[in-house]
Amino acid sequence: MTFVSLAFKNLLRHKTRSLLTLAGIAASIAVLFSIISFNRGFEKGLSRELERTGIHFMVVPAGCPHEVAALVLHGAVTPQFLDLHIMDKLKNNDNISIASPILVTQMPNPERHRIDLIYGMDMSHIMALKPFWEIKGSIPSGNNEIIIGYEVAKHDNIKIGDIISYSSTGGGTAVSKSFKVAGIINRTGGQDDAFIYMPIKAVQEMLQKPEGATAVGVKVSDVMRMTEVVDELSQSIPGIQIVTMGQVMDSIANLARSAKVLSLSVAVIAILISAVSVMNSILMAIFERTQEIGMMRAIGASRFDTFRIIIKETIVLTASGGIAGIIIANIGATAIEGFVKGFMPYVPSGKLITFEPSLAIACIMFSIVLGVLAGVYPAWKASKITPIEAIKG
Amino acid sequence: MIELKGIEKIYIRGAEHVRALNGIDLSIGQGEFVSITGHSGSGKTTLLHILGCLDKPTKGAMSLSGITINGMPESGLVKIRRQKIGFVFQQFYLIPGLSVLENVALPLLFGRTKKATDEIKSLLKLVGLQDKIDRKPSELSGGEMQRVAIARALINNPEVILADEPTGNLDTENSENIFLLLKSLNSRGITIIMVTHNTDLAGRADRIIRLKDGKIQ
Repeated sequence: MTFVSLAFKNLLRHKTRSLLTLAGIAASIAVLFSIISFNRGFEKGLSRELERTGIHFMVVPAGCPHEVAALVLHGAVTPQFLDLHIMDKLKNNDNISIASPILVTQMPNPERHRIDLIYGMDMSHIMALKPFWEIKGSIPSGNNEIIIGYEVAKHDNIKIGDIISYSSTGGGTAVSKSFKVAGIINRTGGQDDAFIYMPIKAVQEMLQKPEGATAVGVKVSDVMRMTEVVDELSQSIPGIQIVTMGQVMDSIANLARSAKVLSLSVAVIAILISAVSVMNSILMAIFERTQEIGMMRAIGASRFDTFRIIIKETIVLTASGGIAGIIIANIGATAIEGFVKGFMPYVPSGKLITFEPSLAIACIMFSIVLGVLAGVYPAWKASKITPIEAIKG
Repeated sequence: MIELKGIEKIYIRGAEHVRALNGIDLSIGQGEFVSITGHSGSGKTTLLHILGCLDKPTKGAMSLSGITINGMPESGLVKIRRQKIGFVFQQFYLIPGLSVLENVALPLLFGRTKKATDEIKSLLKLVGLQDKIDRKPSELSGGEMQRVAIARALINNPEVILADEPTGNLDTENSENIFLLLKSLNSRGITIIMVTHNTDLAGRADRIIRLKDGKIQ
């Protein structure tokens, strides 16, 4: 017999109480693991999505930076249009390798009775701006061809070669046009899966805005000189706003911060409650076992031995709770993710809570530390029990 | 083996000073079977606690096997209790979650010593519980539980067994059996000091120490 096996057997004497205390620890560790994993997944997902945009900064009409963040990540439709005469200045800048206008809009699809999200872009820049894309079929070569996102194709069972018609009244008069599906993008796991990608000229025609663009995506030739380029453009072109991907990330991180703080606060409160519950449970056990502890002191247990027995009971309890919590978090990852996503203003696509061994070990270690902290006072109380007082009853 | 000289024990109960033991001089030899009797409040349990190094006297000197006990720190008393003394209590104090074998082996855990399972089994055979080694205390009778407690007291080969009302919770037949078991251990050279109210059993010890108002009569 060892001190650990003795601790196990002592806990098993009150199965229901131990199980309930363990469940409390498991729930709080599951919440902690899920939130940290979610936050890590959030940051990784955000970086991944920004990387997939393939650009270093966006030139947009002066306005709200949050709107730009939404534009970059969601492809949101914004009411303002950029004057594309600025393209000359962008193209003439030696430090800019690509300046690609983007026009994001919504267009009704009368055949399918729905409204599609249209992302107008220069098809010659597609592989530079979207380097991670894998396209089945081909990149559109003319203004009457499009490529479509994975989810759109899957949802409507669209195949390469199919014809899709759109109509628009954006310029006051109705314009209809049919497009041939030249390619389908393989699943990206991001927002790209939900778009129809159309040559920008075709979108401009449909909207009757020949020089219209929502933004210009810019890729610099030397990333180290990006600040210099941004400063230069900001000073030389009035009425624009330049938002770097780092600023987009900060902007989203700011929006998400309150939700993160809220969710972490929930975890901290849950942990505190479970720590108090562990302490209470162990204190109850000590009160019930006062005579037994006195007997152990009489037959040769030192004060440190009784301290050790109690602290090991709490560690066994909290470590088991920690392990159970990690299992619960991984089994219920989808549900927990869905719940936490409800708090967040923007969430990158894809699975955010994933099993990370280092995080799981850290959470279990944390539950052990919690056990030590929650167990110190009860263990100290137990070590103070004198054999004669206990045996007298 | 055990020498007590001028032992006094005074408890403070509120504003009152209670003199539980008053000038006890006592000598108990190796291999003796001594019973301590007296009315409630006579000081017999206090004396047993001092003999068992569970409590310290207010005044006086005590030695056990030539070792001076008075003034010894708590850690030293713990060591004496582990190595030289076995305790048997009226309430048995077995741990419910442990088997008979594990209850008997419990003191080994505190002594950081190991014993072969066969040795523990032979001890259980000595107390007549060889068939119940895997049972839990709740599956045993009172007499059997006290036998487990006696086996537990014997696990570290003590020089003396201190038994506080060992038959107090048992019927006549079991009381007799436990007494006979203690007698047989005594015949192996173990000193037995038994506190009891049972005058019949006390009378069958080698010597009776009668206490009244904290003094030996």
